[in-house]
Amino acid sequence: MAQGFLALILHAHLPYVRHPEYEHSLEEKWFFEAVTECYIPLLMVFERLRDEGIDFRLTFSLSPTLLAMMEDPLLQKRCRQYLQRLQNLARLEEERTAGDPSFAPLAQLYRSHFDSAAAYLDRYGCRLVSAFRKLAEENYLELITTASTHAYLPLLQLQPESIYAQIANGVQYHTALFGEAPRGLWLPECAFEHGLDDFISELGIQYFITATHGVLFASPRPKYGVYSPILTQSGVAVFGRDAETSKQVWSAQEGYPGDYDYREFYRDIAYDLPLDYIGPHLHPPGMRSDTGIKYYRITCEGLEYKEPYRPDRAREKAALHAGNFMFNREQQVRYLSTLMGRPPIVISPYDAELFGHWWFEGPQWLDYLFRKIAFDQPHVKLITPGEYLDLGYPLQLATPNPSSWGDKGYHEVWLNGSNDWLYRHLHKAAADMIRLATAHSEAEGLLERALRQAARELMLAQSSDWPFIMTAGTMVDYARSRAESHLVRFRTLARQIDEGAIDAEWLKGLEEADNVFPQLDYRLYRDFKTTVPVDLAGVV
Amino acid sequence: MADPQTIYLNRGESLPELYGEDRLVILPRDPHNIFAYWEVSPQTRAALEKRAIEEGCPEIAYCLRVYKYAWPEEETVESFFDLEVSRESNNWYITVANADRYYHVELGWKAPGIPFQYLLRSNLVRTPRNGLSDLIDENWQLPDWKAQKLFRRISLYHLSSAEFFRRLRK
Repeated sequence: MAQGFLALILHAHLPYVRHPEYEHSLEEKWFFEAVTECYIPLLMVFERLRDEGIDFRLTFSLSPTLLAMMEDPLLQKRCRQYLQRLQNLARLEEERTAGDPSFAPLAQLYRSHFDSAAAYLDRYGCRLVSAFRKLAEENYLELITTASTHAYLPLLQLQPESIYAQIANGVQYHTALFGEAPRGLWLPECAFEHGLDDFISELGIQYFITATHGVLFASPRPKYGVYSPILTQSGVAVFGRDAETSKQVWSAQEGYPGDYDYREFYRDIAYDLPLDYIGPHLHPPGMRSDTGIKYYRITCEGLEYKEPYRPDRAREKAALHAGNFMFNREQQVRYLSTLMGRPPIVISPYDAELFGHWWFEGPQWLDYLFRKIAFDQPHVKLITPGEYLDLGYPLQLATPNPSSWGDKGYHEVWLNGSNDWLYRHLHKAAADMIRLATAHSEAEGLLERALRQAARELMLAQSSDWPFIMTAGTMVDYARSRAESHLVRFRTLARQIDEGAIDAEWLKGLEEADNVFPQLDYRLYRDFKTTVPVDLAGVV
Repeated sequence: MADPQTIYLNRGESLPELYGEDRLVILPRDPHNIFAYWEVSPQTRAALEKRAIEEGCPEIAYCLRVYKYAWPEEETVESFFDLEVSRESNNWYITVANADRYYHVELGWKAPGIPFQYLLRSNLVRTPRNGLSDLIDENWQLPDWKAQKLFRRISLYHLSSAEFFRRLRK
């Protein structure tokens, strides 16, 4: 009998980036890299475990914008082309490094990786959603959703309708793609504010996840800390992030991904090889940016001295770290269970993009971890939050505390001198959207298309990624331009709707450019005073 | 420089700086900071300046009045303080003393011999708590020694704050 539970949660999200106007967009590459380096390697690990009969459970949060990109035919085609270019480059690299005892095996490794990824994409007709859906249907993955464009919800509280629309459309989109409504919600950036749970509950969601102090600082004081969910007044369970497991993976000093035997992320052949050789294979061609082919290990502090990567040593470390992680969980749950009188649940959420992209060996680490948990110990059992709720433990009624998993634990990353200008425009646009949706609740034809497009532009402007990037200070121009463009487009649409003068040709251009969520229902934005909650039953 | 497609779809327009409206909005940022942004419409501003001249005091000062509510409810104002802001500013970070409290803010003006004159009122917000709740549900309580151990385990990895243990010992 297990003494406690471990719920690993991977959150996969990218902002909606799609630029048909460019053949090679640097920003679209975020998606191609994530598909090639993270999602496919992770899916391959899961399928291999399943095929070998190894019992594992994982919760996977897939943001609606990411799903929309996975479903977009243009991005599917471009992603396959991107991978083809990498396959070509890897073959050239095999020739270039032939005979070199350090680098030839690495070139072969990358060639093999890219070939496998390409074969995987082809097997699913470039639709990764099918692969996730299959694993969910087989009960290995619990798929959950998040706000439609990953909006930072606490800072939209001024217009609750826009929070409702963000979550409701996310639930609807997820349900349409996976054939089943999500049981759980990933709060973007784990950001909670009083009242959010009311909308979440209304939409049939059973649980969400907060930062550690979202539950720890709940009121009344949570009897079991973060090791058991609490229940809000509106009837939603809240799971708090476990800080120990976060630290073991994320900590700059002690985190596993920083081990000297692991692959160095920052040393890519894009910067080492002559432009006339590598230029045609870059994305965009001729512009030095990462290829994903990296031949060195971290080796030591700093970026100067690096030794060649040794996959065998890295694999040993991944196994060692998986063993260490499991050992620590065993100790943790055994200790906690003596205090609690019920099995503790350890909630370990991570960004999915850590695994494979930043931490090359991450998928391998997960593979070892799942195998070790299945075979090497009896104390810890993998579980999903949904399965934990099914066990039927009584939950303490408490109100979670406003918080986020960002720096300093509250909203500062998304609200500071670099990005605070954005909110007056977002709030104004949301107020206009509510007014328009309420005034035209039965629109058809061109008016309906204009209202739907206005809702898309607003949602795209609300993405938490733009203020985050402004704070981080890289690609700021892109983030600013995206937020401004969507808001400007929204304003023009709103004006045209008000004036009854919708420019059909221009609208068609917008629909093609910002084509996220084809079925988005603008009526989700109607003023609460004029509506009753949407019944999500039967939306499939 | 934006590409032709973006220029076409944006119709060459950019975001206005302001919307010609009267509004004051506050957002809680963390337990001790509230962000405020506001806009005073040209009409309101003109009316205000006309009145100031009539009152014989052309030099008025814009001011934010920050109201704190009695814990834990949102009905009774407990106290307030004023922050002078420049005529040109349209946002401010307000540092407040209390976590887990309701606040609202008013934008107004003052002049020598004239007390605070209200112009705009904000929404109501509540700052987050920054420590363990003092509220204990008797039906959901571990024995003290177990609670100490459990919370210490979390604090080892999460909180370095002495506040944590100080509050726990209460």
